[in-house]
Amino acid sequence: MIASNSAGRAKGRPRFIGYTGVAVVLALAVTACGGGSGEKTSDGNVTLTVSVWNLAKTPEFTALFDAFQRANPGIKIKPVDILADDYADKVTTMLAGGDQTDVITMKNVTDYSRYSSRGQLLDITDVVRSTDTSKLAGLPAFNVKDKYYALPFRQDFWLLYYNKKYFEKAGVTMPPQLTWDEYAKLARSLTHDEGGKKVYGTYHHTWRSVVQAISAAQTGGDQLSGDYSFFRDQYEMALGLQKDGATLDFGTAKAQKSDYRPIFESGATAMLPMGTWYISGILGQKQKGATDVDWALAPMPQRPGATGITTFGSPTAFAVNKRAAHADVAKKFVQFAAGQAGAEAVSKVGVVPALQTPEITQAYFSNAGMPTDELSKKAFQPDKVVLEMPVSEHTSDVDTILSEEHELIMVGDKSIDEGIRSMGDRVKSEVLN
Amino acid sequence: MTALPDAPPAVAPPRPPGRSASPRSRGPRLVRTALAYVCLLTVALLVLVPFASMVSSSLKRNNEVLTVPVEWVPREFRWSNFVEIWDRIPMTTYLGNSVFLSGAITLLQLLTGSFAAYGFSKVRFPGRDALFLAYIATIAVPWQAYMVPQYIMMQRAELTNTYWSIILLQAFGAFGVFLMRQYYMSIPDDLCEAARIDGLSEYGIYWRIMLPLSKPALASLALLTFVNTWNDYMGPFIYLTSNELWTVQLGLRSFVGQYDTEYAMIMTGAVLSVLPIVVLFLIGQRYFIRGIATSGLK
Amino acid sequence: MAHAITRSASDSPPRRRPAWHRIIIGWSFILPNFLGFALFTLIPMLAAFVLAFLKWDSYNTPEWVGLENFRRLLRDENFYVALRNTLYYAVGHIPLTLVAALGLAVALDRKLRGVQFFRTAAFFPYITSLVAVAVVWNMLFNPTAGPVNQLLHALGVDDPPRWVASTDWAMPAVIVTSVWRDMGYYMVLFLAGLQTIPKEYYEAARVDGAGAWQRFWRITLPCLRPTTFFVVVMLTIQSFKVLDLIVVMTDGGPGRSTLVLAQLVYREGITEGRFGYSSAIALVLFVIVLAVTVVQFRLNERSSTR
Repeated sequence: MIASNSAGRAKGRPRFIGYTGVAVVLALAVTACGGGSGEKTSDGNVTLTVSVWNLAKTPEFTALFDAFQRANPGIKIKPVDILADDYADKVTTMLAGGDQTDVITMKNVTDYSRYSSRGQLLDITDVVRSTDTSKLAGLPAFNVKDKYYALPFRQDFWLLYYNKKYFEKAGVTMPPQLTWDEYAKLARSLTHDEGGKKVYGTYHHTWRSVVQAISAAQTGGDQLSGDYSFFRDQYEMALGLQKDGATLDFGTAKAQKSDYRPIFESGATAMLPMGTWYISGILGQKQKGATDVDWALAPMPQRPGATGITTFGSPTAFAVNKRAAHADVAKKFVQFAAGQAGAEAVSKVGVVPALQTPEITQAYFSNAGMPTDELSKKAFQPDKVVLEMPVSEHTSDVDTILSEEHELIMVGDKSIDEGIRSMGDRVKSEVLN
Repeated sequence: MTALPDAPPAVAPPRPPGRSASPRSRGPRLVRTALAYVCLLTVALLVLVPFASMVSSSLKRNNEVLTVPVEWVPREFRWSNFVEIWDRIPMTTYLGNSVFLSGAITLLQLLTGSFAAYGFSKVRFPGRDALFLAYIATIAVPWQAYMVPQYIMMQRAELTNTYWSIILLQAFGAFGVFLMRQYYMSIPDDLCEAARIDGLSEYGIYWRIMLPLSKPALASLALLTFVNTWNDYMGPFIYLTSNELWTVQLGLRSFVGQYDTEYAMIMTGAVLSVLPIVVLFLIGQRYFIRGIATSGLK
Repeated sequence: MAHAITRSASDSPPRRRPAWHRIIIGWSFILPNFLGFALFTLIPMLAAFVLAFLKWDSYNTPEWVGLENFRRLLRDENFYVALRNTLYYAVGHIPLTLVAALGLAVALDRKLRGVQFFRTAAFFPYITSLVAVAVVWNMLFNPTAGPVNQLLHALGVDDPPRWVASTDWAMPAVIVTSVWRDMGYYMVLFLAGLQTIPKEYYEAARVDGAGAWQRFWRITLPCLRPTTFFVVVMLTIQSFKVLDLIVVMTDGGPGRSTLVLAQLVYREGITEGRFGYSSAIALVLFVIVLAVTVVQFRLNERSSTR
């Protein structure tokens, strides 16, 4: 029905192209000109803006902000609260638009490498040099050609949570050091029915890191290499447990969008390999009386013949926006968060700070509700924490492929060998070519 | 699916439209009506199952939501969920913001959309059809593709984090123009021609004839625009940063993010977020039914 | 039928006004909408299309790369996977939704006690928030304990599909959910369209002894033409652009079995920061949709002048 007289259409087309040309030029003009405006007048007091996620549910931010404001009267912090799930997308858009938020929180190292390589973050190497970083865990991950654009304030790593009730009932004590075989055996033996409700021996969350990052850390494999045979043992263990019903089936967990927290807190699993960030979660839930789970920590299981405890983890950091309205104050905040005062504030709410000194660890374990046994404390001091995923320009592309193939292996669509082969093929042809 | 009851071949003398069903042979008619009801009820049940589970979940305790096998009726009705959620999140603010944004956008879309549609359907001028094609073409582009250029423009204009950004982005959509134009195409041109001969200007024809005639389409467009704006998540998420500007969907999503284990609460929020639309739909219904039959186009 | 007459009448109107006058009148109607539309939709969109020939990380100065993004597209396996999945979705979603929506509208366009309730019920899925939709349907499709598979078991299917946990059945599950969600929306459009059909047509047909089925084919369908056309075009466009439902239900998985083009656009652009490449994919998607739409317009034109 459109263009029902053909004469009009014939005339219309060149004109339409003409409009298009004009509009494109206009568009580029609009995008190109009109640079950064909005110089803020400071009336003695400075308001520092910091991008954060889920402020109400992430207590370490509030703790840090309070501590910083107390130490620096005259500076007020205004959090820019962003939903956690879409944090990266919103920050990408904000920075592209020339947003002036002063401090940008780096949720993970992959995002950090993106923003820093685009030149969206301020070089704060001088801040790093003037800080005592000898005990600051996770800092090397932020080294980009001997320059730093962010400073970590918390460092999470993976360990094994377990439900003491089920261990006591089965008459076993958690051994100080498990191999993966022993772990699998334990998971099978702890699987049982409890009042008509199934209790799994362990719960493997649907993230690929549960299988892949730990085997990379413990075998020394490189997840960016394109050769993934080092995943094999770990996949065999995980699929074996799934086949025997000792862990929740991957497909079901994925379809239900299962959350590991209620699974552990409601006692539906005896063990749970998970990151240290979950500690503050359990503490919070117990304080509210929402769960009565009797829990403790153990080190991650190791490969046979391993010496010491190797696990993986990832730091969280603060960076300064290159377009920050108050760059100097922002730097001051970043340094504060990574220092002693920041670490104390963070550890008080049950979050693992990047700055790791014996005093801080002790303070950490004195939090109400923390398990106090020796094994838990030992679990808290792994010998080696490998970065969850190495950082390079390929990181996120490889991450996507590894996640997709992980799903296919776990739902049984591909055998372990097929999956590992196609990971390698795809990474080589799509990313590393 | 289309359970059309067969009408008897012989029919009583023509009756006023809309009341064609009247005393006939009682027996088969009753059966047919019953059949129609059965079919409709089956469909309605199928359609409502997920919604029912949403409502029932909203009345449960958190740990009773995901159970095997599914419990359709809560063991005890926890109406307190609906009270509690008001303490958890500023629901009133979110609802108010959503109503304001959806209302403003719907109004603008109706006005400018139907106005432009008249130009596209009843006024002939060179370049019109090419322009209309450009309109439709834009519907075909996924928003994610030009989200960033759009954001950069808005940021330069310093409109981000204001209601303006959302209103300006969504009030001039091509969809409304397309819908209204399609509708106007079904209104015979001789009607306009007759009005022109009577000396009515084009604006007069639009205002006096087309607008009243297009009530059902306007009602549809209003409803669909309102619902779309109401349910939009990405737009408000990218543009509205301050909590006091947030819409219901943003509030709900943030709630899910923060209390991701509390399924019952999430469902309570979802039910609350849907209620205003249900009310609106029930009100708008009347216009679909009245429609053109009462408007004098005969 | 009425179209043919009115068309010839308007092609030679009794009083021909000068062309410039009609241009001014026409534009005066379009302008209020066009200003907002051009500024906030058209220009950013055209800018995005220019980006398809650039390399741009959203921050630094873009670099002209000519057709490189498109060459890359041809080599990108993800693109073919997404294209295939998008077509799969469209082929399932368009006809099913069309039939369901039309059926609902015709069934509900009558005087029946409680018809309001049914209309509202049919519209419910569309207004329910996506988050809730995803949670509920994933529960229904749960491979081990979901009601759908419990029902299939009861019907004697020993090995029911694993739905969203299987690469073969994830897309059908998404399609079923999307039909369920969208049919009420298009039903509203059809209901509005049905209101435009003069009731006298039906009366006359009845007097002539036409049955319900005949009345549907001879009166309802032809008179609904503009609406049906609109619905088909919108359905096509929306099917090719599908994103949000997939994101909340499967997020493209398992593997890449439900990865669609719009998701690839989003992933390459916002997530990976390759805005040039992302725009190139969007441009290709756009050209595909445009081609299909133009064909639809042509077909519509041809059959309406016949």
